[in-house]
Order: sequence, then structure tokens, then C-alpha cells
Amino acid sequence: MKMYLYLGCATPTKQYGYELSTRAVFPRLGIELVDMPDSNCCGTPLMGVNRFYNVYAPARLMAIAEAGGLDLLVPCNGCHLALSEASFLLRERRHLFEQVNALLKEEGLKYTGRAKIYHPVEALHDLAGVEKIAESVTYKLPPLKFACHPGCHLVRPSNIGRPERRDGKLKLEALAEAIGLQTRDHPEKYECCGAAMLPYSTDAAIKVVGMRLKRFVEGGFDGVTTLCPYCFDMIDGKQDVAKTITGDRSLSIPTFYYTQLLGLAMGIGERELGLNLSMSPIGSVLEKLRR
Amino acid sequence: MVEELKVGVYVCHCGVNIASVVNVKAVIEYASTLSNVEVAKDYPFMCSDPGQNMIIEDIKAKGLNRIVVASCSPRMHEPTFRRALERAGLNPYLLEMANIREHCSWVHEKQPQEATEKAKDLVAAAVAKVRMMKPLETVKMPAVKRALVIGGGVAGIRAALDIANSGFEVYLVEKKPSIGGNMARLDKTFPTLDCSQCILTPMMVEAAQHPNIKLLTYSEVQSIDGSVGNFTVKILKKPRYVNEALCTGCGICEQKCPYTVPSEFNLGLGKRKVIYFEFPQAVPLKPVLDRDNCVYFKKGTCRACEKFCPAKAIDYTQKPQEITIDVGAIILATGYGLYDVKTKMPEYRYGPSKNVVTGLELERLTSATGPTKGAILRPSDKKEPKNVTIVLCVGSRDEKHLDYCCRFGCVAGIKHAYYIISHIPDAKVTICYTDIRAFGKGYEDFYARIRSSDNVQFIRGRPMEILEDSNGSLYFDVFDQNTNRLMRLTPDLVVLETGVVPDPSFEQIATVLKCSRGPDGFALELHPKLRPTETSVDGVFIAGVVQGPKDIPDTVAQAGAAAASAIALLARGEVESVANVASVNQDLCSGCGVCEPVCPFTAIVLEARNGGRVAKVEATKCKGCGACAAACPSGAMTQLGFEGKQLIPQIEVLARAR
Amino acid sequence: MQAYAQTDILDEVRRVIGDQRPEACYQCMKCTSGCPAAKVSEYRPHLMVILTKAGLAEEVIQSGIIWACSMCLKCKEYCPQDVAPFDVVIALKNVAISRGYKPPEMLVGMANNVLDYGYIMDKPMTITTTEFEEVSRETLGLPKLVHPKNMEKFKKLVSSFGYRRLT
Repeated sequence: MKMYLYLGCATPTKQYGYELSTRAVFPRLGIELVDMPDSNCCGTPLMGVNRFYNVYAPARLMAIAEAGGLDLLVPCNGCHLALSEASFLLRERRHLFEQVNALLKEEGLKYTGRAKIYHPVEALHDLAGVEKIAESVTYKLPPLKFACHPGCHLVRPSNIGRPERRDGKLKLEALAEAIGLQTRDHPEKYECCGAAMLPYSTDAAIKVVGMRLKRFVEGGFDGVTTLCPYCFDMIDGKQDVAKTITGDRSLSIPTFYYTQLLGLAMGIGERELGLNLSMSPIGSVLEKLRR
Repeated sequence: MVEELKVGVYVCHCGVNIASVVNVKAVIEYASTLSNVEVAKDYPFMCSDPGQNMIIEDIKAKGLNRIVVASCSPRMHEPTFRRALERAGLNPYLLEMANIREHCSWVHEKQPQEATEKAKDLVAAAVAKVRMMKPLETVKMPAVKRALVIGGGVAGIRAALDIANSGFEVYLVEKKPSIGGNMARLDKTFPTLDCSQCILTPMMVEAAQHPNIKLLTYSEVQSIDGSVGNFTVKILKKPRYVNEALCTGCGICEQKCPYTVPSEFNLGLGKRKVIYFEFPQAVPLKPVLDRDNCVYFKKGTCRACEKFCPAKAIDYTQKPQEITIDVGAIILATGYGLYDVKTKMPEYRYGPSKNVVTGLELERLTSATGPTKGAILRPSDKKEPKNVTIVLCVGSRDEKHLDYCCRFGCVAGIKHAYYIISHIPDAKVTICYTDIRAFGKGYEDFYARIRSSDNVQFIRGRPMEILEDSNGSLYFDVFDQNTNRLMRLTPDLVVLETGVVPDPSFEQIATVLKCSRGPDGFALELHPKLRPTETSVDGVFIAGVVQGPKDIPDTVAQAGAAAASAIALLARGEVESVANVASVNQDLCSGCGVCEPVCPFTAIVLEARNGGRVAKVEATKCKGCGACAAACPSGAMTQLGFEGKQLIPQIEVLARAR
Repeated sequence: MQAYAQTDILDEVRRVIGDQRPEACYQCMKCTSGCPAAKVSEYRPHLMVILTKAGLAEEVIQSGIIWACSMCLKCKEYCPQDVAPFDVVIALKNVAISRGYKPPEMLVGMANNVLDYGYIMDKPMTITTTEFEEVSRETLGLPKLVHPKNMEKFKKLVSSFGYRRLT
């Protein structure tokens, strides 16, 4: 099957590891990723600036996908939330639906809600399936203990339906186990990475991710895995700053995108998966994960 | 014999309610021009003594035989005026009311002229109908002078005792092996801190020994047929596998039984034997053999209880017994269960974290008959907690869970704080509350007393979640509005005061009885203020938490009220149907059966006739709602007092008018 | 200080798209209890709601504290009265912008970039690898970033519903 790849803003401008590993693994599971002919920011970081943009922009993206006759793969949690919420609102509120379509018409676009949106965790767990993934790998990774961090927007708000439940086993955990890793419940599993606080106060945002890092370290995990560019940016990228701001030198843990781990298990090369772009100390774990 | 129609029309001023808008004199004048109208009068308050007497005197003196009263809604005073007709010697159903208040003066205040014209039309329509009215009679049936109480908690016990003390026989049915309900699980009751068992067991014993009370424990209601005054109830008495007549309650069987399973009475916190007494003060004091977990029933071995029983009371061949009884009145008192916080609110970790318990579980820990013999110990390591947090409003007052208040959680939480500080002198208790509802007698005083303890801290804030770190220690944040601080709490025991829901058995009984439930799932009373123990089903009364969350004093009071209603019914010894019942012309009826499910009161049955079937209305159950008459496709079903030939003239008048 | 002083803010809050119901709040403190921003700053979602309800939100908008929200949505998920404190705060932010209050500097840049480039970033970043190489999207062989096909039209349409350049 084919899907449009909607990357949003953070992934294609900085989180190249996510994009590289996503583009590498999905074709091997039978999902061909097609670049969008037209694109824009989904509006999640700007919800406070203009709430309507956050309805119009996702609709525009989904209309573009509709025009191309494909569904959307949306790797960023924030984008996935924007598109999910917009679909919900456009279904529930007729006047919004009409307002948005009047604007889209100016560009020859139309939104009917036909294009489906998938986050990689859904595409991997529900479309490909845990068995297929287990079969698609060339070797199972050693049973290292990994903490799975879904990220807020994959879990909430549950009333519109989210890819992950707010209790019980995560799909991400099932996916991690499918490739041989060990997962374990950890406190504050569903907590925030703090990314959205960066514009307000770097200090405050870092303290939030510092709390996450503390729990990962306390839990004795070998590594953390996630599927959101903002969460990765915080958890992988801010460990040194967190040590400075909190004064806690223990805040250090190897962090991976799940698609990178899956890619390794599939035998794909480390550069191809963007593993040389990580900021957390993945070296020692990477050695253990290598064949 | 054709009687000459003589209609009396009486228009009420209702003080200024009607007269300030409607020109009453003009209505009288108009009414007197209508044919058959003998008398047309007005009066300031028709429902008053002189007003009613005016009608009575006119009936007697002028031979009036149809009456129209134009006044307020019939829901207010129709019974009043019917009784007046009766006192005058006229059939009370030869009355028609025209609502010129709620339907006229009250809603057309700004348009007095139009309102007056409308009042005239309403009166003319009423006259048109009343001309066609025929005398109606109610049907009286003898009532069985026996009651049934379903549920053996404190509400059921109190109601049964009150009925029994009035001289009537009453069956008290309880699905568990012993009566006592949730109150038997409590250690102490607030605010007096009486030992719960100590005040309850005398009532339980009195109920067991009362000559008028027949106790059926370990029994469940299977079906209820019939109607008020004559219910036929099938009850299934489950087998205890113990011959109750021979058993002396010595307890040797329980002692000798080698196997244990989690105890339901102790909410899974402790164990019980497979043959067991529900709790030490059980009434009746007879054991029950739990067949599903019994090794003899599963594999054919053991039989220790049988071997050691000195009275030879063990009987593995016992079968369930079906008991059928006839009663005149039923009281539902099935009580409550706790909200399923485990699945619905996983953020509080009740279930995964052993040291998060419910208030009811704390009662079992504190109780001398509980799994720890009254020592408050953490379930995980059996150590005394030193730092306890009590969270109120768990699942209650929450649009995402139970939108109603559980009513007793606040004072129960305060009582639980008392348990902790009185058992463990160096323990510290934190109560996380939203609003303290200490409404009852002595409650505010109790709250003040606990509030003044240095070992109890009240935090005004509801925690969002309870977390557990990698060492298994509990922690969470709560914002305290009182001190304006975000607090990090690290309790070693958390007590959740959860919301309450009707006991699961209520769902089945409510369906069997067609007893209405409110949006919150509790039994629906007939009027929230004035008729709290009656239901939409005549002869079925409700008492206790089945009607809504409440504490013990209110439960007992309501049980007495329900008993009084039942006693009144039984004492009267007869039931009277309404007069405006549905009536089926069985010659026209095709037996299509559309009417039967439409009836909210199960008053219609389909019976065999001439090889087919026809509908039959049980007049004593019919409430005259008219739904079946409206649903009937052939016109075979009509409603007395609202027949086509009565309604059509009424409609014609209104259709002609303007 | 008078209650109901600035109910115009409450009215404007209600007009923003969302599920906000500040009037339903009974101040249980659940939102603030679980809020990550409250743990690391002075941000208090319950206060944002009650001040809005009481018509006293002006100083809150002025202070800029509303921008501290981490968008974790826990308050919306668990609020017992479906107030959706998050939605109230988003609405307050929108009201603040429309009244000319400046959001945090980083957001100004992001908001303006959307008007010019369709994304919150003006161009892909150059980053350093673990081997101290400098790489960018291009050097990694990734396809060129796709902007809105007709940037002028996009800008015009987005401006048409009140999205203004921030200064």
C-alpha cells in the first residue's frame, strides 16, 4: 500500500533521524511512502496564536491527501493530534466544515474527511501488525530493558480517540517486544516531555524533561524509545542541559526512535537510520544491539 | 331512559391568578348561553370549602348531573372536585375541568382579551365533553395481607421489623448467606462512633426471631407477577448443602475445612474456608458450602465437613428450592456497591498498587472481625502505616464518571481519619477534599473534632493521579487551595472514598418489576420531594441507597416510611383501580399484541379466545395513561373517560373557534 | 476590585473554537494537581479558569503566564466538569493576541514563518553528527522540503481569517 508522508515542521527541519529511519523501514513492511505535492504547518505550536488556523491547516493537508487518493502517515504526535482533532471538529460542527471548505475551494481543494490518518505506532501495530514486524526482522535484538515514552498527544484527549490507551500495555511496548526488546511499566509513563514550554521558559521545560529522565534512570532502563520528534528532541537532545539546570549528573540515557530500533533489527545500516545524529550517549547500547 | 342533561359551570378567579387576566364575568355570561347549561357561576376560590359547597348545593337543589370547573390544572384539584361531587351524591367522574390558569391566564398575561376568548373556548370544549361523560366506577380487589422485603441490609431489616410489628407477615429475602448488608462490614458508625455490629446485630436477631418475619437468606427473587395487592413472587433458595434444621452453628465444619479462598465479606483482603460462616455474627448462624470451590464437588474427595459434623447436618445432595409466595406489597432495599474505580479510573492505581484501598476495605482492616483482627496494616507488607492519605470524591461529582455526590463520603473519610489516629498514635493523616459535606446531626461537631487534631491535615484539592516509583512507594502531587501550595505527598497507605452505585442485583429486579430508574441508575421515586418511597409501580416501594446515596439515619428513616406505605396498603386490605382504565372490545380485537409492550404497568395480557388471542386489561394494574388506546390500530382499545365520542365533540368546539 | 469587571474577556473566550466551559468549574484543583507546568512554574490552570469565569482575566493575559502551558492535555482529560482548562487557556491566548499582547519571542518567529514559508522554521537546520560532521537535509540526501504550492495564495487565505503577522 501507498501512503502520503506528512512530516510537519520539526522532523524535516531537524529530526532527520526520524525521517531517515521512517523512510527506511516502512517500504520493507509493504508501505510505500509518497511525498506530498503540497504541504504546510499543521498549526499545533500556534494554537494559541490562531485557533482557527489549527482547524484550517489540518483540513488543507487532509484535502491534499484526498485529492491524491491516499491516506496519511503522520510521524509527529502534535501533527497527528491536530489532524485528529480537526477531523473531529469538522464532523461535529457544520459551520466550521463550511467555513473551511469555502477557503479550500479557493485552491481547488475539498475536505470530506475521506483521507485516514495514521501515526507510525498505528501503522506499525495495526496495519502491519506485530507478527509481520517480528517476521520482517533479520535478527531479534537482545532483550535490553527499554522504557517506552508514547508522548502526551498519542494518549490524550481520549474522547476523540487516540492511538494509545491511557492505561494498560502500549502498542509501542508491543512493538518493542516484537523485535526482541524487554519493556516494563514505569511511573509517569504517560507524562509530558515539556517541549511546548520551551518558548515560555527553557528552564521550566528542561525541568519537566528532567523529571522524565530521572524516572528512566531510576527504573534501571537500558534505553528509552519514542515516536515523536518533539519528545525525542527533549529526551535525547536536552540531557546535558538537564544535568546543568537540575544539578543531577545522573540524567543520562540512550534514546532511540522506535523506527531506528526496528531498522537495526531489519539489518539496515546505522547511518541510513540517522543514528549518528543522536545527542544522547547511544554508543554502548548500539554496540549491544549490533549483530 | 334518557336523562335530561343539566350542566353546572363554575369559573374560578383563583384570587388574582385567573381574574387579573381573564374576564371571569364574561366567561360566565358566555357559558350560560351554551345548551344544557343550567347554572354558570364564578367564585374567588372554587377549591375552598364555600366554593365546593356551592357546587354541592346546586347539585342537590337543581338536580345538576354534569359539572365543569374552569380553574387550575386538574393535577392540582381534580381529586378535590371529584370528592365534592361524591359528597353531593353524584358520580365523581361526571366532572370535566377546563384549565384556564396554567393553560391560559398564566401564559397569556399580556393579552387579556385573547385570554378571555380562549377561556370561553376551553369552557365550551369542556361542556361538549362532559355532556358525553358516563358514570365510571373503580374496581376494588382484596389485597394479600403479607409483604415482601427484597434486601436484608439495615433498610430491609428496619422495614421488615416495622411491618412485622404492625401485625403483618413479611418475607425478608437476602441473596447473601447472612443479613446485615454493607453496614455489617463497618467497624464504627459516624458521628457517634458506635460499633456498627453492636447496634446492628440486635436488629438482625430480632428480625430472625420475630414470629411475623420469614427470613429467606442465600435466596434470590426470580420473577414477580401480578399487581398491587396481589403479587406472585418466585424465589430461588440456593443450596447451602447444610441441613439448617439439624445444624447447630457449632463451626466445627469451618474449622476442619482444609481449603481457603478469598473472602467476599472481607472484600478480598483475607481468606475464608470453602464451607464458611459469612462473618462471626451472621444471621442465620448457619454455614454455606461454596460449591464452586469445593474439592468434593470438583473431584469427589475430602468430605472433611461431613466427617466432623456432630449434628450430621452436611447434605451434599441438597438442591435449589423454588418458593412461591403471594404478597400485597413489596419493598426494594437492595442497597449499594462501590464504583468500579479499578477499571474506570486507572490513574488512581487501585488494583495495581496494593496499598491503595477503598474506604470499605479500610473498614474491614479496622474491624475486629476482619482479616487483620482490627490492626490497621498495609496490605503489601503488613506494616503499620505512618502516613495515610484519604482522598474524597473519587469518581463522584464527575461528569466523566458519576455525576452525583455520594453524600456520605466526606464524613466517612473524617471517620477514617479518626480510625487511623486512634489506632496508630504517631500516624499522620492527610485528607484531600473538594467540599466537606457534614450535613447531618452531630456531623459538623465530628468534623470540628477531627479538624482540631494535630495529626490530621485537610488539603483542599483533588489529586489527579496516584503514582508508584520503582521502589513501590506511592507518591503524587496535589494543589492545596488553602495554603496556595503545590504539595508532593508520599503516603504509605491511600484510602479512596469512592462513589457508590446501586447493588448489581438491582438491575435484574428493576427489569423484572419495570421499576423506573433515574439517569443516575438509582430507583426513581414518584416525587423527589413529597413521595420518596413510592415508585411508578403501585405496591412497590423503595428504601435505602437503592433510591439514592444516603447515610444510615436517612436509610432507616426511609425504611420506616416505606414500611408505613406498605402497612397502609395492607391495613386497607383492598386495592382500588383508577376509574379511567383502558377497556378492550374483545370482539374487535385482532390479537395483534401492539398494546401489550406499550403498557408501562404490565396491565395488558394476551389471552386465548376462540382459537386466537385477544387483549385483556387488568383493571387493578391499569393507571389510565392511554398509551395502549393510542397504539391500538383497530380501535378495539379505548380508554374510559377519554373515548372518541367524548373527545371529538371537544375537538370540534376548539376547531370551530377562530 | 469588582467581580464581573471584565466579562468581555469571558465573552471573547467563549467565541474561540473549543470545548471550554469556564462557568462549570467548581475549583476542585485536580487540573493544577496533575499539571506538569505547575510543577516547574507559577502556572495554575485552575486559577486561569476561575479568573476567566469571574471576569478578572485581564491581569492574567497581561502577565504572560498563560504561555507556560505544556499542552499535555491532562487537565482536559481528567476535569470532572468538562471545563477543559486547556481550551480555556488556548482561548485566553487567542484573546491576548487579538488584543495586541505579545506572546513569547520564539512563537513570534514561528508564527511569522508560517506566513512566509508555510512552516514554523524558515529553513532546515544544519546539525552536527556524533563524528562532528555538519549535515543538513540536503547533505543527507533527503528530498527538498515541500512548501505550500502557491505561497502567496496561502498567505492571503490564512490572513483572511485573522492570522496577522506578529511584531
